[in-house]
Amino acid sequence: MASAAPSVPAATSASTAAPARRKRRGTLSRPARIGLRLIVPILILLAWYALSQSEAGGLFVPTPLNAFVRAGEMFLSPDPSQLFLGQATYHDFIPSVSRALAGLALAIVIGVGLGIVLGLSPLLTALFQPLIHLGRSLPSPALLGVFFFLFGIGDAPKIFLITFSVVWPILFNTIDGVKSVGETRAQAAAIFRIPAHLVLGKIVLPGAGPKIFAGIRTAMAMSLILMIISELQKSENGLGYLLISTQRQFDYAGFWAVLIVLAALGVVMNFIFLLIERRVLAWHRGATAQHD
Amino acid sequence: MTEHTSTTTQLPELQLDGISKSYGDNLAVRSITASIPAHKVSVIVGPSGCGKSTLLRIISGLDEPTEGTVTFEGNPVHGVPEGLAMVFQDYSRSLYPWLRVDKNVAFPLSKLPAAERDARVAEAIEAVGLKGREKLYPWQMSGGMQQRVAIARALASQPKLLLMDEPYASVDAQTRADLEDLLLKIQRKLGITVLIVTHDIDESVYLADHIIVLSTPPSVVAETIDVDLAHPRDHFSTKTHPRFVEIRGHVTQLLRHTELTGGAA
Repeated sequence: MASAAPSVPAATSASTAAPARRKRRGTLSRPARIGLRLIVPILILLAWYALSQSEAGGLFVPTPLNAFVRAGEMFLSPDPSQLFLGQATYHDFIPSVSRALAGLALAIVIGVGLGIVLGLSPLLTALFQPLIHLGRSLPSPALLGVFFFLFGIGDAPKIFLITFSVVWPILFNTIDGVKSVGETRAQAAAIFRIPAHLVLGKIVLPGAGPKIFAGIRTAMAMSLILMIISELQKSENGLGYLLISTQRQFDYAGFWAVLIVLAALGVVMNFIFLLIERRVLAWHRGATAQHD
Repeated sequence: MTEHTSTTTQLPELQLDGISKSYGDNLAVRSITASIPAHKVSVIVGPSGCGKSTLLRIISGLDEPTEGTVTFEGNPVHGVPEGLAMVFQDYSRSLYPWLRVDKNVAFPLSKLPAAERDARVAEAIEAVGLKGREKLYPWQMSGGMQQRVAIARALASQPKLLLMDEPYASVDAQTRADLEDLLLKIQRKLGITVLIVTHDIDESVYLADHIIVLSTPPSVVAETIDVDLAHPRDHFSTKTHPRFVEIRGHVTQLLRHTELTGGAA
């Protein structure tokens, strides 16, 4: 059953998707496409280089080459026993990313759980709507002090700040997604006397899935921002801490190296997210392509 | 139990007694009394907005009437009873687009052992002519085929009473004719009781053994008609039969009359 499953839709999706893709990009050859995509990054690097050579910027801006070399020195190492990873990776990168992912994971659990409960009940939605709007509009970095006060200084205040800040888009999107599942599907479930846990797991959750994923994507981008903000004060490690400490030591190459790593982190996390989304929401991509 | 039902086939499967439903001050249906005979196809036909769908929701137990009682197999209906299945008009909203065809059909059978479930799913899919398409997603199919999936899903639960709410209103004419014949074939084979709601007069006469004509809202039963056209029916000879033409004319006149008099008895 499982082995036969992918064969049919794979064949159909390949045959329907391939011509569409060719039509859309048909005017450009592959090398031309890659060349076009490289133009903007190259321009940025050139502008960066020009800035590093200027009188005003030269003091604070290293050349791109210096910054990349510094990033390599800090985050990588030639030592196999360290898995070729540098000191900053262990001391700052991994703790930072762990806190961001922990905060995000907690936000997903709370946001999706609460969102489903609220989405299923118009009464609860109406009751908590003002509170949700209040929480969403609070500029959460302003609460960092409160979180330090509440949870001391270790990882906890940082993780909870991330969770508190990024839970809102997930919560909103889940409520919306649950509502979008639709009355007819709910009626069909009622007619066939589907047990409640199956309605939740096989109808409500997948039906709300596309919106939930959209919320998580926003939350993921926010969690990286909050990760940095939470480390700007009262920290002993982390990429945010590293941004501050390199500046204090006038190590501008190091400062730019951290920025490079942050940019790479954002790109990689987005890529992993898209991979997961493609797997989980394969049906949704097909269904929307069909109706558009 | 089965022997018992066979001796009581003359009793109505479904009995509506004085069903009224109002939404606030707005009376949708008024004092509907009707009997739906077992092992037959009954059709409720009426003008648009006459509360047919409201009535079907009440019969299915999805909604409670303001007044009156629904009795299914001798028991008053409160909540969706065992042995009832439904096909909705809007197949794209009633099927689950994240499940493949076989999983959609199997979904109501979650309580059954896997072997029996697989057998029932295969049988239902075969009955609606979708064999070989089990692994497609609904959105990869035409509207008519999606509605076949919805019918298969209803059949797989082996209902005694199959309710259909404007089942063919969203498909093209040729598909509609095919699906009407498919329904008659399946009903003759399985002997289940079918209750269809439609606004289409041709369809009501073609499918029905028994027609309940509703008036404009607040709807009352204008007339019930027994359709004595022979089985098996087909779209050419049945629809050109003088008796078909006669009944169709009669129903048309009834509906026009109720529209002119505003449904007031």
